[in-house]
Amino acid sequence: MSVMTTDIHEQTAVPQPKQHGKPGGFLRHTNIFTGVVTGLVLAIITFAIGSKIVPWGNQNVDFDQVGFQALIGITYIAWVIGFMAGIGAFAGPIRWVLGHDLTHADAEYMAGKGQGRFKYWKYTTDHKVVGIQYLIMTLVLFGLGGFLAMLIRTELGITWAEVFTPNFYNSIIGTHGIVMIIAMIIVVAGPLGNFIMPIMIGARDMAFPRLNALSFWLLFAAVPPLVSNLLLGGIRDGWTVYEPLGSQSPVGMIGYQICIIVFAFSTGIASVNLITTAFTMRARGMSWNRVPIFVIGIISAAIMGLVWFPMFQYSQILALSDRMLATSFFNPLMGGSVWLYENLFWLLGHPEVYVVVIPGTAALIELMTVFLRKPLFSYKMAIAGFAGITGISAIVWVHHMYMTGWAPSAGYPFMLSTELISIPFGFLVLVMLGTMWRGKPWTRLPMMCVYAVIWNKIIGVITGVYLSDVPVDQYMHGSMFVVAHFHYMLMGAGLFAAIGAISYWFPKMTGRMLNERIASIGFWVAFFAFQLTFMSMFVAGLQGMPRRVLQFDNAFNISNWLSTIGAYCIGIGMVIFLFAIITSWRNGKPAPANPWGAKTLEWQTSTPVPLENFPVLPVVTSDPYGYGVPDPYDAVEKKMSEADQPVGAGAR
Amino acid sequence: MSAAVESPRSATTGEAVKTVARRNRLGIWLCIISDATGTVALLISYTYLWSLNVNNQWAPPKNAWADWWPFWAIVAGIVIATALIWWGIAGIAKGHKGRLAGAAVLASLILIATFVGQIVQLSTFPFGPADGAYASATFWLCLATAFHLAMLGLLVLAVSIRTGKGLISPDNHSHARFVAMYMTWVCISAALGALVATTMLASPNTQMPLFGTFTG
Amino acid sequence: MSLTNAPETEQPEEPTNRPAPSYRIREWLSRPYARHFLVLFIIFTVVIMPSAWLVLHFMNQSGAPASAIMSEIEKTIFVFTFVSAPLMAMALAILLYSLLGRDWGGKVHGEEPPMQESPAIRTNGTAVILWITATSLLAGFLVIWGMMELATITANSYGSTAPNQQPKDVKPIDINVTGAQWVWNFQYPDQRGIQSDTLVVPVDTPLYFNVTSVDVIHSFWVVELGIKIDANPGAVTNTGVTPNKLGTFNIRCAELCGMHHAYMQTKIQVVSQAEFENWVRVMGGEKTS
Repeated sequence: MSVMTTDIHEQTAVPQPKQHGKPGGFLRHTNIFTGVVTGLVLAIITFAIGSKIVPWGNQNVDFDQVGFQALIGITYIAWVIGFMAGIGAFAGPIRWVLGHDLTHADAEYMAGKGQGRFKYWKYTTDHKVVGIQYLIMTLVLFGLGGFLAMLIRTELGITWAEVFTPNFYNSIIGTHGIVMIIAMIIVVAGPLGNFIMPIMIGARDMAFPRLNALSFWLLFAAVPPLVSNLLLGGIRDGWTVYEPLGSQSPVGMIGYQICIIVFAFSTGIASVNLITTAFTMRARGMSWNRVPIFVIGIISAAIMGLVWFPMFQYSQILALSDRMLATSFFNPLMGGSVWLYENLFWLLGHPEVYVVVIPGTAALIELMTVFLRKPLFSYKMAIAGFAGITGISAIVWVHHMYMTGWAPSAGYPFMLSTELISIPFGFLVLVMLGTMWRGKPWTRLPMMCVYAVIWNKIIGVITGVYLSDVPVDQYMHGSMFVVAHFHYMLMGAGLFAAIGAISYWFPKMTGRMLNERIASIGFWVAFFAFQLTFMSMFVAGLQGMPRRVLQFDNAFNISNWLSTIGAYCIGIGMVIFLFAIITSWRNGKPAPANPWGAKTLEWQTSTPVPLENFPVLPVVTSDPYGYGVPDPYDAVEKKMSEADQPVGAGAR
Repeated sequence: MSAAVESPRSATTGEAVKTVARRNRLGIWLCIISDATGTVALLISYTYLWSLNVNNQWAPPKNAWADWWPFWAIVAGIVIATALIWWGIAGIAKGHKGRLAGAAVLASLILIATFVGQIVQLSTFPFGPADGAYASATFWLCLATAFHLAMLGLLVLAVSIRTGKGLISPDNHSHARFVAMYMTWVCISAALGALVATTMLASPNTQMPLFGTFTG
Repeated sequence: MSLTNAPETEQPEEPTNRPAPSYRIREWLSRPYARHFLVLFIIFTVVIMPSAWLVLHFMNQSGAPASAIMSEIEKTIFVFTFVSAPLMAMALAILLYSLLGRDWGGKVHGEEPPMQESPAIRTNGTAVILWITATSLLAGFLVIWGMMELATITANSYGSTAPNQQPKDVKPIDINVTGAQWVWNFQYPDQRGIQSDTLVVPVDTPLYFNVTSVDVIHSFWVVELGIKIDANPGAVTNTGVTPNKLGTFNIRCAELCGMHHAYMQTKIQVVSQAEFENWVRVMGGEKTS
């Protein structure tokens, strides 16, 4: 399949710009530690100078004081700017403005050449390094979110007492929600979109390697402000931080807002990178009908993220402005509208759930073909499914607002659009079931994840159908039924799909085989415990339990006890799975280049993957789904169509 | 493959510069799309709050609406700077490097003046950001333009320096094009903001119930 | 056969070997896996459908339905469960057959990639068309049912009708609902503005709620009567219902509103007309005319 095209060694023949300093320049001196130190120092200086200018004396840190809000806001911004400066993010733009362009040696240094393990702590542009960085960050975020989930379920399980104060409880549910949402947005597109996708399309790196590093480190900078909210009074609101309730929170809320504003930039940049890479860097011969379906899924998610994230970002910018500048976008007393917030939020909020679910689904569709040794069923329907979801996701957001009273007659058109989107979603289910049909499954962990995810997806979709109906939503909105539904979709279908995807590509990314025995134990414990936890939660919702409450009627006790037991077991399962990941990464069996016998390009290069991915770029001659043997029943079909001739035709 | 290099190649990856330029162009378009959503968010905020007039607090105190002409003067400044850069690009495509260099210098002066003008407008409104919904929305439309102007200033400075160093040349001036594309978008963004802020003043809704009550 | 001006008679079709249209279906059914799959599909459909009753059982544990609106909601959930069951059953049947069935070759374990033995089916026009048709019909049914239900419920709750557009024959009792952190306040403007923190209403009488908030977003949820509307600061929203069952039911806040959101609950007491008038009088209002 491979024909010589761009030999890596040709590059040295290109005339180079002037080398400024040693290769890498300023980035030789920067890493995560310099970033953190610079960020902290700048934040402290800003706070010190600012507090001289902004009087917030009397040690009365009453959250009504606009000046104090502004001070904390600027301090957080200083952290972000300081961190980015300290990690070397500004070096590239400054060099570009001044005309000190990168040389090949600079680019190689920035890609991590010759730095061993240390490159993971630096502003490294190699997409494989960024992929691993995203993987670690995702695991950390899930750990934090999962820990908060255990706290939440403890509170809800101990039905006879308040374990936490109401304000702290409200903060942990909100922080749990946003941490998990962020983790789910990046879990597949981050590690796998970055590490695997470029290799899968036969490229040497992504379209914008420096932007790749930037998107990761922006995410890194955004996390401490978010987490710090718990130390600064908490966000005391759900993950949606509806205004004006959000404005009642102490300054910790600013951490949330800054996090989202920065995270939106990170996501936008990552989306630009993913889309451009997939569109412009495919190997020769990889026409659009030969592109692996995983790439299509990543493109769909990236497009939705790119187009809609600024809505969420602006909802937080304006909320922060209401705090820092006393504007009144969301303050009804002064002309603001709560409905404005809700619309801006959900305009992203809905496409976002597809950003979460689509990459994992695409990954599972991709790997199913490998483990069933069967071509993808109806590639065209899969494309239509992803395209339909990407398009229609833009016009369904009001179904989160049926009960707000914003536009009662809007219930009709948005009920229609919400039902419509189930049709392209159904195409993806068709593709999955069709691929599975008559296939012989190789029951390794990635394939078993497919079964688990389809089960969860069915339940998520059916309960989604209930909620999409306005009258039914009139009962169910704001109840635990909604919570159980979105956990089935985002966690049941999203996270478990991500686990499948990560265990599939684990050998390529880490060079080790995953200990499937332990990982499977963890996975199945989590899967069955998941059913217990969230089925009980459906029951609680049906019985009439509202969401985001720490105490409730005794009628809901049994459901909550069962949910809590299930949640603890999920925690145990996930810890076992994490244990499998960590021990396999360190001591697992070295992985061959293609342990699964797969046909996509990333498995055709060696493990560990060399810096330039391919010694010689491949040329593609077919799609990667050339599995399977001729269908024995096809002979029957052939007979039937041959029979469709007049009798005695030969005699005419 | 022969080593004959008619088309310039990128120093870092060895690919043809034209290939890299096409890729970068897609990236710029995607960035513009994302930026556009942000502008739309602000326009939605302005128009929606205008239509609602919650608690009768849309209008600024004493109906002190902002003057219309500073908005359009700022738009004019951005448009002129953008036109200059496009004119410079047309020149360098024909081989006149000096035109782009000069255009970039002139454009950056105009952008600085426009930026200063925007800051002056922001600080001399007959209202403050805390004076109700119109004030808030107008303030932010102008703040967003100010951010855009700051970015444009840096970008045009880069064009100027890089043209001077020969990095933007008749053979390879894609970076100048990208800057011009983004500047064109900023013209549109600023114009849309100016349009709503100068034509949609008094709210059509005079029947809102007062806060906390059930009657208007 | 004459080719001149004789009237055209029906020409019999030339005999062919073309199989009857039902042949394809019969051939497919003759495959063992097809029969097994259909059996599984039917079993699962039949097993899943009764879950509709289970769903309603949980919803009715605290006294629902107590209004026509709630009954309509329950009917909708019931119907939706039934029509969704076949799709769910089909997916489950395929999952189960893939894992446990034998006619597709059975599972493969092991470290090494297995040999290629699955049939290389890239698409199947019949299956695709059937699927698109079935899912579109299902989606269409759900939408149309949903819209009809929404219209019914809107009519039953006077939806967003303004006071001057409400039905003239039965005048609803107007109730102003104010959400505040963290209590509900009910005011009866037509009963001399009496206020209460428990909602007391007569049975079989339409009620019309004007809902607002004086601080943050709350949500006015009368659980067993099946109505819910957000209480927004700076706006007035509306809903309505006619309770048709005596008893005491729950009102809960369904939108996180701060520290004591969990405790922002009260009761609705649906009483007889006589009791209601008595209560009004005791609270200081007049007899309703």
